[in-house]
Amino acid sequence: MSDKKKEFYGKDLLGNDLTADEQELVELYTRLKSLSARQDLPPVATANVKQAMVMIWNACNDLALLNEEPGCD
Amino acid sequence: MTVSESPYWNPKTETLPKDQLRALQLTKLQSLVEYAWNRSPFHRRLYEKAGVTPDQIKTLDDIHRLPFMTREDWMACQAEQPLFGDMTTRPEEDAIRYHLTSGTSGRQPLRVLDGRKDWSWIADMWCYGFWGFGIRPSDKVFFAFSYGSFIGFWGAHYCCEKMGTLTLASGNMTTEQRVKQIVEMGVTVVCATPTYALRMGQAAEKMGIDLKKDGKVRRVVVSGEPAGSIPAVKQMIEEMWGGKCGDTAGMTEIGTIMIFECDHQPGGPHIIEDHFIEEVLDPDTAKPMNYGQRGERVVTSFGRGFIPLIRYKTKDLVCKAPHTLCRCGRTGDIYEGGILGRVDDMKLIRGTNVYPRAVEAVVREHSEVEEFQIIISRRDDVQDEITVKVELKPEEKDVWPRLQAKLGKDLADAHEGLRFNVELAAQGELPRFELKAKRLQDLRPQY
Ligand SMILES: [Zn+2]
Repeated sequence: MSDKKKEFYGKDLLGNDLTADEQELVELYTRLKSLSARQDLPPVATANVKQAMVMIWNACNDLALLNEEPGCD
Repeated sequence: MTVSESPYWNPKTETLPKDQLRALQLTKLQSLVEYAWNRSPFHRRLYEKAGVTPDQIKTLDDIHRLPFMTREDWMACQAEQPLFGDMTTRPEEDAIRYHLTSGTSGRQPLRVLDGRKDWSWIADMWCYGFWGFGIRPSDKVFFAFSYGSFIGFWGAHYCCEKMGTLTLASGNMTTEQRVKQIVEMGVTVVCATPTYALRMGQAAEKMGIDLKKDGKVRRVVVSGEPAGSIPAVKQMIEEMWGGKCGDTAGMTEIGTIMIFECDHQPGGPHIIEDHFIEEVLDPDTAKPMNYGQRGERVVTSFGRGFIPLIRYKTKDLVCKAPHTLCRCGRTGDIYEGGILGRVDDMKLIRGTNVYPRAVEAVVREHSEVEEFQIIISRRDDVQDEITVKVELKPEEKDVWPRLQAKLGKDLADAHEGLRFNVELAAQGELPRFELKAKRLQDLRPQY
């Protein structure tokens, strides 16, 4: 992962730099989140992407990588 | 280390040094209070009345500035603005689940909603517990649960799907059908209330099935009743099933569990402290209790987004011990002896305090007892009487006069000499339970 990306995702809630694996999780979450917000995909894509986004969110949230409002889909 | 070799579901936060854990809780608390302030009119009103604003939460101790939330507030809010009150933070159409409290005490049940993330988080809290108690993807997990509107083991079912176990739902099966399937399928983990785990064991005996020999159960996960942490109840369950029995506790208001027993079982369940703040307070003065002192659980949950739960008075009676009581490496503190009962279920009999759970602990020391009931009555409008009615296992009838005397003495010894009447009930006379057992009847006039 490039230094630029590392800088972009910053730190976890404890103030630690994200590890490469953690950065990958956050990056995946961010991509799935924007994809699941799209209105122009077929239901089969939107619904399943949303489920995937929620699962990745759960990992990121438990690992203290995100400070998002709870329950915000 | 492969995934299955990790003793922790979430090694990063389950083993955080205490100071970092506190820092994490503070960050989450600040976000949660601001979120509730902005999104829930109920919380905004509560905080404005108390003269507190989110920016005043600067340290973890500042949690004491926040007013409590009670079940009564919640019920009143839902009654004034049906169906959900104005404490929900999102439009109803964003929810994917609707559940109700079990309404144990006959009151109007509370209604709760969960969004997708809430529901995933609910399952995840169970994962902390199941993984911590040694359950792995190779297990076959059976749920002796009715899958209705009561939340019960719903989250645990989804936890098992998430972990990748084989997950067996038993919905409307009879007790006998459940026992049969557990044996036939080689189930390795059974989930039930402690009462129902015993009942299935008794049914197996009557069916001529030796669960220890014929079954493959290695773990029994119990929830829903304080009895899950009574050593004698656990021992009975373990002897019946041949597997280790572990306690968990949760509540519909949270949607999931907040404590679980790890595989080391140091004498009580760990608190999932990266997702909850659990305070133990004097129920009357709200003074914080120290380790080793009994008090009321007050919970703040960082998980459910639809209905923020901040400083919720649970009326559960607990006693906190430091995490160092256990050597598993988790830094979440421990509730010694699990949930000890309800703050308001104490009965005063001729000047002596009686807790139903304490009576159960004594009765369950006697393995000849199959079922029991506690009956409190008033004689001649003056004298309060407490009677324990017991139903014996069919093959144990001969022990009666001796057991009657012994039980009477043990109950008196555990209650400052208070005299208990001990009576024999006929076979099948006493009620049996699947969900929350109701073993106490207070027949005294209520004023
Ligand atoms: Zn432990």
